Amino acid sequence: MKAKNRIGNIVYHVLVCGLGLVMIYPLIWMVMSSFKETNTIFTTAGSLIPEKFVLTNYTNGWKGFAKISFGTFFKNSLFISIVATIGTVISSAFVAFGFSRCKFFGKRLLFVAMLLSMMLPAQVLMIPQYLWYQKLGWVGSYLPLIVPYFFAIQGFFVYLMINFIDGIPTELDEAAKIDGCSYYSIFLRIIVPLIKPAIVTAAIFSFMWRWDDFLSALLYVNESAKYPVSLALKLFSDPGSSSDYGAMFAMASLSILPAVLIFIFFQKYLVEGISTSGLKG
Amino acid sequence: MKNNKAFSLKRWLNKESSAGVVFTLPFSVGFLLFMIVPMGISLYYSFCDYDILSPPVFQGVKNYVKMFTDDPTFYKSLKVTFYFALVSVPLRLIFALLVAMILQKTTKATGFYRAAYYLPSIIGGSVAVSILWKRMFASDGIVNTLLGFIGISTSFAWLGNKHTAIWTLIILAVWQFGSSMLIFLSSLKQIPTSLYEAANVDGANKFRQFFNITLPLLTPTIFFNLVMQMINGFLAFTQCFIITQGKPMNSTLFYTVYMYQQSFEFYNTGYGAALAWVMLLIIGLMTLFLFATKKFWVYDGGF
Amino acid sequence: MKKKLALGMAIITALSLTACGGNSGSNGTTAAPGNTEAAEAGASAGGSNNLIVSWWGNQTRNERTQEALDLYSEQNPEVTFDGQFAEWADYWNKLATSSAGHSLPDVVQMDYKYLKQYVDNNLLVDLTPYIEDGTIDVSNVSENMLNSGKVGDGIYAISLGINAPALLYNKTLLDENGITVKDNMTMDEFMDLSREIYEKTGYKTNVAYNNGDNFIEYTVRSEGKVLFEEGKLGVDSADQLLPFFQIYEIGMNEGWHVDPSIFAERTIGSVEQEPLVYGSTPANMSWCAFYYSNQLTAMQKAAPEGMEIGMTTWPSDDPVVSNYLKPSQFFSITVDSKNPAEAAKVLDFFTNSEDCNNILLAERGVPISSLVAEAIAPKLDDMDQEVIRYINEVVTPNSSTLNPPAPDSSSEVYDLIDKLEEKLCYGEIDAAQAANELFEGGNKIMSGN
Repeated sequence: MKAKNRIGNIVYHVLVCGLGLVMIYPLIWMVMSSFKETNTIFTTAGSLIPEKFVLTNYTNGWKGFAKISFGTFFKNSLFISIVATIGTVISSAFVAFGFSRCKFFGKRLLFVAMLLSMMLPAQVLMIPQYLWYQKLGWVGSYLPLIVPYFFAIQGFFVYLMINFIDGIPTELDEAAKIDGCSYYSIFLRIIVPLIKPAIVTAAIFSFMWRWDDFLSALLYVNESAKYPVSLALKLFSDPGSSSDYGAMFAMASLSILPAVLIFIFFQKYLVEGISTSGLKG
Repeated sequence: MKNNKAFSLKRWLNKESSAGVVFTLPFSVGFLLFMIVPMGISLYYSFCDYDILSPPVFQGVKNYVKMFTDDPTFYKSLKVTFYFALVSVPLRLIFALLVAMILQKTTKATGFYRAAYYLPSIIGGSVAVSILWKRMFASDGIVNTLLGFIGISTSFAWLGNKHTAIWTLIILAVWQFGSSMLIFLSSLKQIPTSLYEAANVDGANKFRQFFNITLPLLTPTIFFNLVMQMINGFLAFTQCFIITQGKPMNSTLFYTVYMYQQSFEFYNTGYGAALAWVMLLIIGLMTLFLFATKKFWVYDGGF
Repeated sequence: MKKKLALGMAIITALSLTACGGNSGSNGTTAAPGNTEAAEAGASAGGSNNLIVSWWGNQTRNERTQEALDLYSEQNPEVTFDGQFAEWADYWNKLATSSAGHSLPDVVQMDYKYLKQYVDNNLLVDLTPYIEDGTIDVSNVSENMLNSGKVGDGIYAISLGINAPALLYNKTLLDENGITVKDNMTMDEFMDLSREIYEKTGYKTNVAYNNGDNFIEYTVRSEGKVLFEEGKLGVDSADQLLPFFQIYEIGMNEGWHVDPSIFAERTIGSVEQEPLVYGSTPANMSWCAFYYSNQLTAMQKAAPEGMEIGMTTWPSDDPVVSNYLKPSQFFSITVDSKNPAEAAKVLDFFTNSEDCNNILLAERGVPISSLVAEAIAPKLDDMDQEVIRYINEVVTPNSSTLNPPAPDSSSEVYDLIDKLEEKLCYGEIDAAQAANELFEGGNKIMSGN
C-alpha cells in the first residue's frame, strides 16, 4: 500500500512537472532571449541557450526613453495597479454582498446592466469614454485609470464575488441577525473573512489586468514621464525603422515579475477556505 | 427628537430592501457616471456616418443595412468568431477544471506548480508572445521539429494555411487557462471537507465523490466561468490582433478585430460602433440562453 | 492565519504608500511637471509657452528629438516642452481620439498618408503666413519639398527629411555570384534578374508582399496615372492595374516569389523580420526588399554579419515618371495649439538650425535645407552618406513630382489590395480577376458606398 502510494506520488510529480514545463516554456524562452544579443534573437529563436550571454539588453532597456528610465515606468505602473486593485476589490465585495444577500427594488435591472456592461468591446467605448472624461476634466491625469475602479465598474469581479457569497450558507447570517448584527457587520465580520479566496483571486486578476492595460494609459496619460510599463514596452518597436527586441524582451521579463511575486505571495491564501478556517457549514 | 431621527435612519439602513440599495450603490453610481453615457454615445454613433476626425452625421440605420446586405467580411468574421469561441471555451474550461483538480492536492511543490500553470496567463498578449507563437508554428519551428522526433517529418506552415491557422489561436487561448483554473481552485476549497468525510464513511470511492459531491457543488462556478469565458470568447481580440491579423485570407479574422479595423484603420467608426452593438445583441442572447438553462443543471443552495 | 493576511494587507498598503511617495518624489526631481504648472499659470495669463510635441519612433528618435527640444528651451528659456511619443499604430489612435476631443498637441509629426485627412477636417494650421513673414525660413528648401506639404492652396506641413523609394538588396550574395544590379531597371529586367538569382542561388524575391501600398502606385505612375482621384480610382480600366498583379502571378508560377505562407510567420513591415535579412534557408529569404532610402541604416543593422546591403531604384518601365522624392515625415501645427507662432519657430528650428540637426543627424532622412544638409554631411556615417548620394545623384535627376496625398478611403483600398494580393499568391484567383476586383471594389469604396 505504501509503495503503491509512493509510485503514485512519483507519477503525479513527473506528470505535473512535465506539463508544467510545456506551460512555462514560452516564458523561459522569453527570459533566455533577453540575454541574447539583440540581433541574434530572431536568427537563433529555435534554441533556448544564448550563444553569448549578455546583459546589455537590460542596461539598454532600463535606460528607457529620452532620459526617463524604466524605474519611473515601474513606479507609475505599481501606483496605478495597486490603487485601482484596492478599489476594485473593496467595491466589488461590497456590491456583491448586496446582490447576493438582499432583495431590493431594481435588483434584476441592475444585474442585467452589469452583465451588459461586459458585453461591449472595450475598443468601441474608447472615443465616447475619452470625450466623457474630457468633459470631467480628467484627461491628462491618472483619474480615468483609477477612480472608476472604486465604483465596481468591472462586472466580472462583482459577479465572481456574488458567486462565492452565494456559496456561503445563509444560516450563518440568520444566526448573526438574531444576535442583533446589522447587514453591515454581517458583511464585515462574517462574509469578508469567508470569501478570502475570492478576494485573493480578484486581487491577483485585477492587479494583472491593470498592469497590462495600455489602452487607457495611451489615451489619458499625456506626459511621457507618467507612462506605465505596458505603454513603455511598446515603444521599443517601430515598424519601418529599427526595433530593439532585446531590450523589449529584457523589460518584458522584468515587467511580469510583480505579477509573479504577487501570485506567489497570495496563492497560499487560496488554499484556505471554509474548511480550514474553523467554520463548518 | 434628533436621537429618534438617527435611530430611524439606522433602522432604515438595516432594512433588507434599503441595505441592498446601499450595498449596490457604488455600482449604480459608477454605471451611471462612467458607463451609461459612453454606451449611449457609441449607440448613437452606430446610426451615424462618423470618421472620428469630423463630427458624426446622423444617417439612420444605413450602417446596419450595409452590414447585413453588403458586407461578406462581416459574415466571415462572425463565422470565425463563433468557431473560435465554441471550440476554445469548452476546451479551456475542461482543461482548467482538470488542472485545478490535480493541483488541489497539497504537496510541498504545489505553490510552484500553481505558479507554473498560471504564468502563461500573466504573460498575456505581449509582443513576446506574438513573436514566440509565430516562431513555434513556423514551417521550421519547434512544433514541426517535435513532430519530426515522433517520425512525422514535415515543414507544414501552420500559420500560413487557412485551415490550421485558427487552431494556433485556439491553442493560445487554451494555454492561457489560468484565470478559470484559479477560480475553480478557490471554489474547490470552499467545499466543506465534512462532506467528503461523510462520503468516506459511507464508503464512496473517489470517482463517485467527484460526481456526487464535487461536480454538483461546483456547478455554480462552472456556470460562472462558462458565462464569463463565453463573453470573453466572443469578444476575443488580442490573439488575432497580435499574431495573425486575420491572415491568411480572413480565415482567422475575429469579429472584434474587424470592428477595430473598420473603426481605427479605415475610419468607418460609425460602422464599427454598429458592429459592436450587433455583437452585444448576439452575446446578450447567448447569455440569456445560458441563464435559461441554469435551472436544469446548476446546483443552488448552500452546502 | 488572520495575522498573516493582515500582514499582507499592511505590506500592500505600505507598498502603495511608497509608490505614491515615490511617484511624487520623482515628479519633484524631473523638471517637466513643475514646468507644466508654471506654463499653465502662464497660459491663464495669456499665451501658453509650454508646447506639446508628439511623434512616433524608436529609442534613438525619442532620445534625439527630446534633446533637440531641450536645446530649444535652453536657447529660449521662456519656452518649455512636453515630448510625447508612442508607437506608430498607437500614435494614430491617440491622435484621432484627441482630435475628436479637440485636444491635439501643439506640434504633431505627420505622415503623408494622413496629411489630407487631417487638413480636410480643419485640424492643421496653414503655415503660409509664417513662411511669408519669415518665421519659417524656406529659402534653402527646394520648391518640390516645400510643396509636398501642400494641400489645396495652403502649406500644412514642413518636411523633416527627404526620402525616396529604394530597392534594398543583398549585395554580398549578388557579388559572390557575379550578378550586377543597375539603377532604373525596367520591370522585365527586374523579373529576369529575379529568375537568374533564383536559379543560381535559390534565393527568392519579395515584391513588397502585403506591404505594397506604394509599389502599386509606382507601377500605375509609370502609365501616367495616379491611383486615387477624388471619389474614384485614378485608372481608367482594370487593365492599368493588371501589370502590378501580373508580377505576383508570374513570380508564383515560376517559383521565384517568396511563398505567402512565410509571411504569416512574420510581422510584415518589421525590418528585422524582412526576408531580405531573416530566414533559415534561401527558400524563405529574398534577395531584395522594397523600402525607402531612410531605412537603409535600419536594414543594415538588422542584417546578419557579413551581409552588405545595397540600394537601387524600384523597377519601373518608365523610371523618370514613376520615381519621386518624398518627405519621410512632417511636423504640423494643429488648430488646438494655443501658441502657433511659437510652434512655427520650433518648426524653423528643426528646418534651419545646424545645432538642432547636429543632434538629429538625419535620423528622419536627409534635411530639407540644402545648407543644413551640407553642414551636417561630414558628421554622418557611410550609410547616411550613401543615402545622400542616392538621393542627389540617382533619384533627383530621374524623378517626377510626388502624387497628391491620398484621400480618406485610401486605407480601405490598400487593405483590399493586400487581400487580393494574398488570394492571388495562394492561387485562389488569377491576376486578371484581382485587377477586376480591385477596379470595381476600389471604385466602390472611393465613392463612399
